Amino acid sequence: MGALRTLFSREYTEKVAVDGISMALDAGELVGYIGPNGAGKSTTIKMLTGILTPTGGTIEVAGLIPYERRKANARNIGVVFGQRSQLYWDLPLRETFELLRAIYDIPGERYRKNLADFVELLEMGEFLSTPVRQLSLGQRMRGDFAAAMLHSPRIVYLDEPTIGLDVVAKEAIRQFVARINREQGATIILTTHDIADVERLCRRIVIIDKGTLIYDGTIERIKERYGSRRTLVVELCDAQPDFHVEGAELESREGNTIRIRFDRNAIGAEVLIRRVADAYGVNDVRIEEPELEAVIRRLYIESSAAGARA
Amino acid sequence: MRAYIAFAQKAFAREATYRFTIFAEIGSLVLRVYLLRSLWTALYAQNLAPADVPRHAMITYATVALLMSLILEVDGTRLIRDKLREGTIATDFMKPISLPLYFFSDGFGQTMLHALLVLPSLLLALLFVRIDVPSFTTLAAFAFTFALGYLVNFFLNFLMNAVAFWTLETFAIQLMVRWSSDLLSGQILPLVFFPGVLGKIVQALPFAAIYWTPLRIYIGELPQAQWGAAAATQCGWLGFFAAVSYLVWRLAERRVVVQGG
Repeated sequence: MGALRTLFSREYTEKVAVDGISMALDAGELVGYIGPNGAGKSTTIKMLTGILTPTGGTIEVAGLIPYERRKANARNIGVVFGQRSQLYWDLPLRETFELLRAIYDIPGERYRKNLADFVELLEMGEFLSTPVRQLSLGQRMRGDFAAAMLHSPRIVYLDEPTIGLDVVAKEAIRQFVARINREQGATIILTTHDIADVERLCRRIVIIDKGTLIYDGTIERIKERYGSRRTLVVELCDAQPDFHVEGAELESREGNTIRIRFDRNAIGAEVLIRRVADAYGVNDVRIEEPELEAVIRRLYIESSAAGARA
Repeated sequence: MRAYIAFAQKAFAREATYRFTIFAEIGSLVLRVYLLRSLWTALYAQNLAPADVPRHAMITYATVALLMSLILEVDGTRLIRDKLREGTIATDFMKPISLPLYFFSDGFGQTMLHALLVLPSLLLALLFVRIDVPSFTTLAAFAFTFALGYLVNFFLNFLMNAVAFWTLETFAIQLMVRWSSDLLSGQILPLVFFPGVLGKIVQALPFAAIYWTPLRIYIGELPQAQWGAAAATQCGWLGFFAAVSYLVWRLAERRVVVQGG
């Protein structure tokens, strides 16, 4: 019955996709824009590119309001989607590049220079004349990157650009992004679920969830602020079934190796190590720093718990 | 401007990569010409055809209509539908281009490739079917009204594909319009075959502007004095469909901009 009902009537529910995300980017910045699935990242990118009109608030990209001046804005920007290609499926890569040259009116000299640079950097020489449908994902992605940068855009939006790529291709793409940022001074917003992309490329990250901003700052600061938990790994001389130490909790135990978790703000590592060494025979100790990914995971979980309470 | 010429060139090149389709198209055309010729020959032999159209004029009509269909049946704005389904239309909106002009250029590029097929097919028609060739003036008037018919057909096609902005799928509506258009445009039958009031209605419909107007000039059914009026009617329909297309496009664009592609 449900299926029949939807055949004749439709219900719409209104949902606020993004709300109160205020941020400003300086020219030449490379910012990681992250958040869980459905957080509103793509919605933000769509508004920035001018294909989505916001119901409220203001957006300005290089002095233009994107949804009012879609075409003028388009000349300033370059966009790469990891999940959809802008290359001509049936034609060789080279032909898409020529088409883009015509679309953006790229002067001959700059076109040739950019193309030569990109072919070298992204190692596209081998497959420049192959129809796009025959390219591997890694090759296609490199083609998409070159296509988006050919007109030397001042602003670049990358929407999950490394999704599904192998480590070598990922590295090639990351190097390329870093270089475009450094040498052409392009302002780049990088949306990704691969935290390694962000760690490798960005100083600043912006984290959103359920359409609201939950963090905007440097990577170091987020690690300091949210990553106060450390893990102390202790290798004991002999097995201690009833191991216990004040101020930390047991995380796991494997033979003589014990992992305990502590909060750096509550207890100093030095104090903790002394307590353990006083009570037990210790062979070795080591402290594990939190990874950015773990920090962000904690942030997502906290944010969704806060949402559930509200 | 350069961008739109490039779009047409790339569409031409893209269509050319599907070689098998092209050969199949010529094969199917030869077959259809043969079938139609047999059909009309049989109908005339049985005295089932109207007496006021001579047999050879009828076969010429059917053959020229088939040649025209090589160009007119190209679904040049299919791209809209495909791009909507794949979601790639969003990336086109991120380019500094006018999308309707892009679709027109792409469709035109595709059409030009198929127009090339007309040449060997025309040769075939001249040699084996021996279709009538009218005077130069008539040919020129035919070419002019054919161009107008092409544009009317383009907008009709554009409108059908633009329905995908709301429904994503357009198969049913296209089938309906295609069938009505085949019959009512004069592609299968000269519209004089429709009797009485029905004939008047059919001739007043916009479909007639696509095949019927140029074809009746070709076979000499329309006196030269009325060519101007016929072309003016075509222009009227052209203006009408262009205006509707413009409005529909504005709505479609709003829809994308509001819903985000």
